[in-house]
Amino acid sequence: MRSEASIASDLSVLAVGVIFVAGLVALGFRLAQVQLVDAAKHSYDGARQAIRAVQTAGPRGRILARDGTVLADNRASVSIAVNPEGFQRRSWNDTVLAISNAVDAVAATIDIPSSLTTNAIARHVRQQLARPLIVWRDVGDEPIARFAERAAEFPGFTCIETEERVYPEGRLAAHVIGFVGRRETESAGSEKFNFRDKEMCGREGLEAFYDSYLRGSSGELQVTVDARGFAVEKTVLVEARRGPDLRLSLDVAMQRAVERQLRGERGACAVIDPRNGAVLALASAPAYDLNLLVPQLTPEINDRLFRNPRNDYRNRACFETYAPGSTFKPVTALAGLAAGVPPEVSYECTGVFELGGMKLHCARRWGHGPIDMKHAIKESCNTYFSNLGCDIGTNALFSAARAMGLGAKTGIDFPQDSAGVVPSEEYKRSHYDLPWYASDLAHASIGQGQLLVTPLQMARLAGAIGTGFLTRPRLRADSPVERTPLPFSAKNLAVIREGMRMVVDGGTGRLAGDGVAVAVAGKTGTAEVGLGATRRKNTWFIAYAPAEKPTVAIAMVIENGESGGTTTAPKVNAVLKAIFGERETGNGNR
Amino acid sequence: MIDKLKRFNWLMFVAMLALVALGTAAIYSAGNARTEELFHSMWKANLSTAVFGLAIYFVLAFFDYRRYLNLLAAPSYLFSLVLLVAVLIVGTSTYGGRRWLWFFQPSEVAKLCVIAALAWIYGSADERPWLRKFYGFLVALAVIGVPALLILLEPDLGTMLALLPATLVMLFVARVWRRGILTAACIAAIVVSAVLAAVYEAERPGVTEARKATILKFVPLRPHQVKRVKIFLFPDEDPHAAGYTLRQAMISIGSGGFSGKGFRKGETNHLKYLPQSISMNDFIFCVYAEEAGFVGSVVLLALFGTLLVPCVWTAYVAADGRGRLVSIGVSTLVFAHVFINIAMSIGLVPITGLPLPFISAGRTFLVTVMAGLGIVQSVSIHRRENDR
Repeated sequence: MRSEASIASDLSVLAVGVIFVAGLVALGFRLAQVQLVDAAKHSYDGARQAIRAVQTAGPRGRILARDGTVLADNRASVSIAVNPEGFQRRSWNDTVLAISNAVDAVAATIDIPSSLTTNAIARHVRQQLARPLIVWRDVGDEPIARFAERAAEFPGFTCIETEERVYPEGRLAAHVIGFVGRRETESAGSEKFNFRDKEMCGREGLEAFYDSYLRGSSGELQVTVDARGFAVEKTVLVEARRGPDLRLSLDVAMQRAVERQLRGERGACAVIDPRNGAVLALASAPAYDLNLLVPQLTPEINDRLFRNPRNDYRNRACFETYAPGSTFKPVTALAGLAAGVPPEVSYECTGVFELGGMKLHCARRWGHGPIDMKHAIKESCNTYFSNLGCDIGTNALFSAARAMGLGAKTGIDFPQDSAGVVPSEEYKRSHYDLPWYASDLAHASIGQGQLLVTPLQMARLAGAIGTGFLTRPRLRADSPVERTPLPFSAKNLAVIREGMRMVVDGGTGRLAGDGVAVAVAGKTGTAEVGLGATRRKNTWFIAYAPAEKPTVAIAMVIENGESGGTTTAPKVNAVLKAIFGERETGNGNR
Repeated sequence: MIDKLKRFNWLMFVAMLALVALGTAAIYSAGNARTEELFHSMWKANLSTAVFGLAIYFVLAFFDYRRYLNLLAAPSYLFSLVLLVAVLIVGTSTYGGRRWLWFFQPSEVAKLCVIAALAWIYGSADERPWLRKFYGFLVALAVIGVPALLILLEPDLGTMLALLPATLVMLFVARVWRRGILTAACIAAIVVSAVLAAVYEAERPGVTEARKATILKFVPLRPHQVKRVKIFLFPDEDPHAAGYTLRQAMISIGSGGFSGKGFRKGETNHLKYLPQSISMNDFIFCVYAEEAGFVGSVVLLALFGTLLVPCVWTAYVAADGRGRLVSIGVSTLVFAHVFINIAMSIGLVPITGLPLPFISAGRTFLVTVMAGLGIVQSVSIHRRENDR
């Protein structure tokens, strides 16, 4: 028998049941909100905290000479790295300590000390926990073998295959090719990536100038990290692609010939094709083996190569500037012709040019007597050109110099491209705090004084005289050709060309043409620098050949030589012989 | 015996077994994500505990509850009080609470004992009308109050939050001083709202420290509880410190999406973003929901429904008041755990430490719940003869 009361109680039981079901349904609705409506947002939050994007570097492109000779290449290199996730401890300090101890143990096994400090490990753990820490870069086969033998004893350590730069030709064109370093920071500056591989990046020379070209396209690695930041899983999303090869206009045979002549000297040489500006050879001496700078420039190498008075590192071909000396005289002659001075006009050479209290001696102490322009070029008469320069004035002289590309960058595709100096009144006042004297003009007329040029500029200048137009020097083979016609008449240029032919044909540069299969036109130069005990001569020779239709223009400077005609002309001669071959009948260039 | 087997409620039994299976899988996943080897085999421990729980279930199910409630309700209640005192004296401390006695948690056992005792007392209210008056309510207050005080001393707020609704519903169903209970429930609702409003006002951005201190002086919560309420009210304010757990809970459940990431593939759990100390216990729903997705969540809720609805039906068709009360008490206890646990995981209520029945890796609690459901099964088997 059920009472009224117990029925009421039963109904309340059913009410409780309804509440239960309602509660469970409410949870279901809220779960639908979280797991269906907001799922994308929560997934994004989850991915953002657990996924690190790494920008990986592809292999660097090669650098090839014009004939395909490989000048810069990559080689497989093995590095030993430690994965921090193998050393998880309760505290970060213990993790760092564990890694440090393990590194010491491996160091003892492979017998190479580690240069990593505890601080460096701690920094890595703090900032790049998800990435392997490279302890020994570019390890040799023998230590790798020792490591591999006992690798099981060192969990957490792995061999990583990377690529390092290799320069098969060693010293050849060292200053031109340049070298690479490793990017300093691993943290990427972009939104997309958390880390970036410590990839190679060009530090000097063409490696620096064409860095982004050689580097190729980067890849994408996705690292999943746990709550503490240790890497758990790695997925390659985008494979990094190798950078394209860089083909140069450089001719290996010519480069070798040039460097042979520079061996043991301090100096430089530039060889270009005056028709299109292609740089055929560009050398600076002394040079160094580029492979010494792999995997990176160490302080010891830096001291040995670069921090000495010889300064192997200095690029004398297009960074260092020199007084051009008498190689400038063709420019003075062109300026004279342009100013209306006829080439037949003679000046009287007594062996000394006097202006106020200043005396300027000619190479021939007893003088050339009355001498015209072509012969003044042939004999390199100081008196003639000093007189000519003083007659036409500063503006006429220096505008001709600028028209020949001096005092401005050449525009070569290379990081070092010195403009040199074509002086002026303002230049002298601001740099030397002295007024412009008439004697400055006399000095400038013979390529002395404040005038400064690079060998590359002079090679281009020589070529321009031969062809009638100025070209932009270019190292990359498919870099566009740029030519500017000279503002001088063909008739005037012909005078200079003949003078320069005569230099080689029995003039001051006669040694340059000996035995070369083609006719050579050139100009010697002996620039005096310093005073008293430090006084020395930088000896020049500039030339183009064949004289009638030049395909090669060359400029060479040798520091501390005797004279342009005796020191540098024979070296240029050897280079030209290597380029054009030797004349079969040894009857000279007459 | 054959007769009893015929009257056995298979629905709630199968739902319970299915829940044990899901729980074991979730514990497997959560345990294997942990660094400590010890937890990798936790799922085996859970299974063996479930077998032990099943034995107790069958014993309690096939014996007549009327007999053993009469015989054991009072002694087991008193014994649980002894255990609760003992745990305060010689218990093991973990996470700032003194909850463990040797290998089990007395507060879990006490929940069932309190329910049994209340059912035993008020099941005979029809014969003793005074129990339904105010004095009867005072008796209930004493029966609930003493263990409640001891549990709060541990302290174990979560257990209290599940036990209180269960006892209140039992008293309501037993029609004990209903006017008072409804009033008390209203007052409780007002107090909870007031506390929430006060914390909101105090922690709102731009409130001065002095004003905050003044308001919090009137809030009857400890600093860490105030913090939890604050996280509940402002979940996005500080994702790395205080709000971290809730944020990770939401990420794991939400990123599970419709169909989940697959067994043992939940990243939030396996990459240890979900705090390891709670992933197997109070926050195991996150582990489950991430791997099983919305489909899994609905299946889980449906299983709890399949378990609870027959339990409530059992209370409805119980042969006597004691059976009705013990059934409704056990079901409310289970429901309170399920609701509060899942609700806190998805930011519906502030975070409180309380396990999800069958899914969390609490061995004492598992045995307790299975024992409770065993009693309900017994009520079902020994229900009124004239029904069906």
